[in-house]
Amino acid sequence: MRIKNNVLRVGAGLAMAGMLALQIMFAPGASSATGKVTVWLEENDLAKCFAETVSAANKNSALTFEMTPKPQLTEAMRTALAAGGAPDVIFTPGPAFTSEFAKAGLLEPLDGYAKKLGWTKTISPWNLELGKVNNKLYSLGSEQETMLLWYNKTVLDKLGIKVPKTTKEFSAALDKVAAAGITPFAGGNTEWKPVNEWFLSAMWNAVAGPSNVYKALTGKMKWDSAPFVEATNTLNGWMMKGYMSGGLDRYYTKTFEEFQSDHATGKAAFSMEGSWRFSSIGAQFDRTGQKWGWAPFPTKDGSELYSIGVGSSWGVNAASKNKAGAAAFLNALFTPATQAQLVTKCGFNPAPVKIEKKMLAGQEKRHADAIVRLGKAAAKGNFGYLTWAFWPPKTQNFLIEEIEKVWAGSVTTKQYLQGMDKIFAKELADKAVPPIPARG
Amino acid sequence: MQKRKKKFYAKRGAWLFILPILTLHVATILVPATVGLYFSLTDWSGFGSASFIGLENYRALLTDAEFLQSLRNNLKWLAFFAIVPFSIALTTAFLLSQVKRGGYAYRIAYFVPYVLPSVVIGSLWKFILNPDSGITAILSNFGVPGLDKALLGQPSTALLTIAFVDNWHYWGFLATILLVALQSVSPDLYEAARIDGANLRQQFKYVTIPGIRPTLVFMLMMTCIWSFLVFEYVWVMSQGGPAGSTEVMATYLYKAAFREFSAGLAAAAGLTMTLSAAMVIGAFLVLRKRGWEI
Repeated sequence: MRIKNNVLRVGAGLAMAGMLALQIMFAPGASSATGKVTVWLEENDLAKCFAETVSAANKNSALTFEMTPKPQLTEAMRTALAAGGAPDVIFTPGPAFTSEFAKAGLLEPLDGYAKKLGWTKTISPWNLELGKVNNKLYSLGSEQETMLLWYNKTVLDKLGIKVPKTTKEFSAALDKVAAAGITPFAGGNTEWKPVNEWFLSAMWNAVAGPSNVYKALTGKMKWDSAPFVEATNTLNGWMMKGYMSGGLDRYYTKTFEEFQSDHATGKAAFSMEGSWRFSSIGAQFDRTGQKWGWAPFPTKDGSELYSIGVGSSWGVNAASKNKAGAAAFLNALFTPATQAQLVTKCGFNPAPVKIEKKMLAGQEKRHADAIVRLGKAAAKGNFGYLTWAFWPPKTQNFLIEEIEKVWAGSVTTKQYLQGMDKIFAKELADKAVPPIPARG
Repeated sequence: MQKRKKKFYAKRGAWLFILPILTLHVATILVPATVGLYFSLTDWSGFGSASFIGLENYRALLTDAEFLQSLRNNLKWLAFFAIVPFSIALTTAFLLSQVKRGGYAYRIAYFVPYVLPSVVIGSLWKFILNPDSGITAILSNFGVPGLDKALLGQPSTALLTIAFVDNWHYWGFLATILLVALQSVSPDLYEAARIDGANLRQQFKYVTIPGIRPTLVFMLMMTCIWSFLVFEYVWVMSQGGPAGSTEVMATYLYKAAFREFSAGLAAAAGLTMTLSAAMVIGAFLVLRKRGWEI
């Protein structure tokens, strides 16, 4: 009897231990991966902080993350992938790159890992949608971005201008600023020509409206339709009046440092820039002693709208010998807790994951507020679409390059949009357009 | 047997010496060039497999206003570099050849820009030409007209400005080459010309130019070829803008390959650049065959 009882006790103990082991193995976020995972990071001031934060999130694991900063990461990754020498985890500057890599069979599908590791519970649905190619998940978007209206509060207070909510109010505010002898916008594209698309992204969503953008991106509306002509012409009007950095010649020759300094010193009142500016604006305005603020980009009807996109994407190398380890790296990186740490410790913008407000405790109030408001809007489906996340590559390059011809007067807005429509139609037919998440 | 062996080595010995470098050349130049030619006939994105599409990429290039604009800009660049640096370098080299003392100091002074990396020079000149704090701003404040606008920020002046900067680094190198050629011209010829009553201009025209013609023509040919390959200065200073006014074939190629994932089209653009350079060489060869002393 005693023997029987002991056998039962041992059996029950083993069963419980087994169940516990199974629970640990298959618990969301848990990973049985071991060994080393190689990762390349963009070589910049934030690389060290990034590596430390992600390593800390992995401290109880049998995995080791070997994170190496690389200069010119995009070019290095592209070459290494083509040559078969890329790391286990693949970083790209966004969905357009991921799509090309996936089509060439260079990335591992992540659907199995997403299910096993419970990513649907922690990662925003639109992020999971954006990483798909031919209905398979290949990447996770990082650094959630939106276009915002940044203003020099000191200048606006002095001129008695309220933060505009509608395009009409915005236009009136710009005229008032210009009349006071202050440059309405700070901007410059000498270091990065795609700065042009920031403004187009903002204006097409704000003036033409996100529903029309969705229709155009899904082929149900032409890009040369009246709403897009109106939106582009509104921007052109400001550019022609010399509202951007005092004239187009200045816009084409200003560096980031120069135009952001113009904004912080009060030479310019507004700046149309992405949410990435949170990482630098505080220090810039602290140096000048002036005050700053941000607002959702003014829309035609005054509603609060955030266009969404990602600044980079992460995937798993199809040729990796440690694919499970690479997926575990993504799992560690994309937990809301790690992303919150990347915000509060390093100053990153978080990936589109479900971050709660309390996780951002201690973060600069305006930045935390933007993250929460953007997250809420995206969750409700009230969002627009940023060109660098949702436009296919040839159309994207066209819109960046050719808009300067419109500003130079050598091409009309209609011709520009017709040209874009032609290229987009071909890319849509070729299935080069990323998945477009529907609005709520 | 011994005789046959000797004959074999006499006939093929030279090839054995050439073989290592020939193998290297084939592996690093001929094979990639052939692969490039193949990819120019495909829709390759830069990754994965490629489908054969015949001459479609070339048709696309020849009907693309952007590419034709870049070709025109390359031709403008060629015209500038066939005239401006040669005029400056030839004059300087000729004058310097008359200098008896301190010639080396001058040579070093104008050769220095050539050893600086193009990215450094481009960035430096962007700083110098800054419309708010650079030299143009200073000159504009002194009332020099036309400098209140950014030279790199206007479609009408951007290409010329970049060509000026490239020339700033290039003419010194050209002058050095021409000076060396000048020094190989026999002093007796100048003396004979002087005895015949030739002035400095006549000496230049009838002694100097014929004496350095082979070097001059070779450098002109190389300059023309390089004009079709220009990239770094344009990329660093304007990225082809504003409004495509400084777009050249190489920047067009770069954008096609790395922004649009059209590696096949980029390969076709690259081969068009090579073809343009080959046409220059062909033109020189034809002229030489027709009896031109070049």
